[in-house]
Amino acid sequence: MALDINEIRKGYRQQFIRRIVLLCALGIATLVSFFIDMAVGPSMLDFSQVIRAVFSPDTVELAEKVIVWEVRMPYAIMALLVGACLSLAGCEMQTVMNNAMASPFTLGISAAASFGAALAIVIGLSLPGVGGDWMVVVNAFLFAFGATLLLQLLSSIRGSGPEGLVLFGIALVFLFNAFTGIMQYIATVEALQQFVFWTLGSLSKANWDNIPLLAILFLSTAPFSLASAWQLTALRLGEDSARSFGVPIRRLRFLSLLRISLLTAGAVAFAGIIGFIGLVGPHIAKLLIGEDHRFSLPASILSGALIMSLASILSKSVVTGAIVPVGIVTSLIGVPVFVALILNRKKR
Amino acid sequence: MNNKNNYFMHAKINIAVFLGVFLGTHLCAQPITVTDVVGREVTIPAPAKRVILGEGRQLITLSLLVPDPAAIIAGWTGDFAKSGGLLYDEYHKRFPAIAKIPLIGTSGKETVSTEQIIALKPDLAIFGAGSHGPDAKSADVIRALEAAGIPIVFIDFRLHPFKHTVPSMELLGKVLGREAQANAFVEFYNRRMNHIKGTLAKQTELKRPKVYMEMIRGAVPPGSPGKGNLGEFIEFVGGNNIGAILPGEVGTLNMEYVIGEQPDVYIATGIAKPGEEGLVIGQSVYTFQTQASLAKLAGRPVVSPLNAIKENKVYGMWHLFYDSPLNIAAVEAIAKWTHPELFGKLQPHGVLKEINERFLALPLKGVYFAELKR
Repeated sequence: MALDINEIRKGYRQQFIRRIVLLCALGIATLVSFFIDMAVGPSMLDFSQVIRAVFSPDTVELAEKVIVWEVRMPYAIMALLVGACLSLAGCEMQTVMNNAMASPFTLGISAAASFGAALAIVIGLSLPGVGGDWMVVVNAFLFAFGATLLLQLLSSIRGSGPEGLVLFGIALVFLFNAFTGIMQYIATVEALQQFVFWTLGSLSKANWDNIPLLAILFLSTAPFSLASAWQLTALRLGEDSARSFGVPIRRLRFLSLLRISLLTAGAVAFAGIIGFIGLVGPHIAKLLIGEDHRFSLPASILSGALIMSLASILSKSVVTGAIVPVGIVTSLIGVPVFVALILNRKKR
Repeated sequence: MNNKNNYFMHAKINIAVFLGVFLGTHLCAQPITVTDVVGREVTIPAPAKRVILGEGRQLITLSLLVPDPAAIIAGWTGDFAKSGGLLYDEYHKRFPAIAKIPLIGTSGKETVSTEQIIALKPDLAIFGAGSHGPDAKSADVIRALEAAGIPIVFIDFRLHPFKHTVPSMELLGKVLGREAQANAFVEFYNRRMNHIKGTLAKQTELKRPKVYMEMIRGAVPPGSPGKGNLGEFIEFVGGNNIGAILPGEVGTLNMEYVIGEQPDVYIATGIAKPGEEGLVIGQSVYTFQTQASLAKLAGRPVVSPLNAIKENKVYGMWHLFYDSPLNIAAVEAIAKWTHPELFGKLQPHGVLKEINERFLALPLKGVYFAELKR
């Protein structure tokens, strides 16, 4: 009997170590991708020049400094942040919805954000005192957040089962798509072009004003996600089991939705609609590391950041000198991974 | 006898007057046959008095030929009312009727109602060959209108501005019965274009300065013209459009590429009104407002290493010149900015002034071109 426990302990420790190693590997891969992202660009800056521009920006030429500090670095950091936010949101979403197909975009959150952006772009409507570029950001954020609260309200009226939530979410998707359709219908050609570009998702709005905001949002949300890791793992075993462990399910679901909406709203507000990260990021993480949320949450963060960083590299490499909207590239990377995932699942 | 003679004289004069009037009206009623820019031969029984505009912004084009353009528009798309900014407001003040012109659609070609066009019973529909409204590819609209007996002519200032502007204006002159105005404009246009073409042709070794153009469009990152669109203007005046590498007509350049290219000239285009983000320029805008917005664009850290910025070759222009016969003014401006040694004497606002005085029903007043002053 004692031997058995030791065996189990040993097995657990091995699994634990394996997962830590995997997490480290993901972290290193993300870091490498970030460095490549920093090193790649249409101008012939070599890596040593980049490093010098990063660490002693005043000793290099203005052009090099601006390329590194105003172009490459903001894009590269924004890619990591957006990927991390969306993937973490997706991982939590899949658990609280008990649905492997859930992502921040399933429940109408991004549809609501799109409508908010369309309001700003097409008819220039936002909160009083908010002007210029910030209208789109503020609107996207408010609508994404509002949609989550609405969702929460609707589902609390009729019991908060995940199925009900998904159905309400789908209703919201169609509702906001219709609203956005009306905006597109009345838009000028110029506004329509702006809006279409916005929906394609892009890192080129990244700058030193919005990166800290998104970073703060992420850093003030992620610890709470990680702190609820064991509750989420328990919920993954089923609502009844979770309840028997003493997990306050309604509260967990509400707080989780709140985090999801903050993370999604933040990412969407600054980078537009970027599909598939929120769906594929968590799946890659879970395939590698399993369903234990103490590991799958950080793994999701890393895998999302990694995919987004790779997409960022690709988005500037497809046509030298031009930038392909990263939302397009992300889906192009995401779809094959996703299909492979589904095929792999069938085999098992 | 005298009386009799008088009588005959009168009768003769009467007959002559009658014949004259008869022949005159008959001449006017002679069917007009034209070939439009996509090569379709179109015949209309008489000059059109009620036309459909497939793109509302072509109101400006009509204003070059007709003193009261609002009176002949039977229906149009709503785009000019929205993107025309203060220019639209001015048109509205001068021709209040334009607010009541029925809409055939809002903006995109998907929103156009063929039924509405037919119900308006126009004499003629004027569409752009490649436009935001119904165009040469809108086969179903063309088929339906032709079946309803509504003739369509295609004009074009957008797909091939330098090939099609003159034929488009000649065509409009004929179908609107304003040939004299159209010919005068064409003569004016050709003279100015030939000056630029001729000067460039004389250069044996023309250096082509690199031009970086940004279309400032508010909430999303600025776009740059690729091979078509305003990129064609840059190439036409002997510049080297660094956006030519873009795969599409318009796209986003990697700022790092722009810095690496070191453009000699920076041109921003925009349509923002005072108080809006972007390049504030156009009708009823004041110079200080344009200067402030242009200075803001030039002050972004990301463009600070560009030679064009360092040497203060920073220019701005109204965006909607690209889809209009007024493109001549934009051509002169870009020529002047790109090759000051050849075209330094050109005055784009002077061209507009002449167009205002000689042609336009409603003069363009405000800032349409700007050079950043430091």
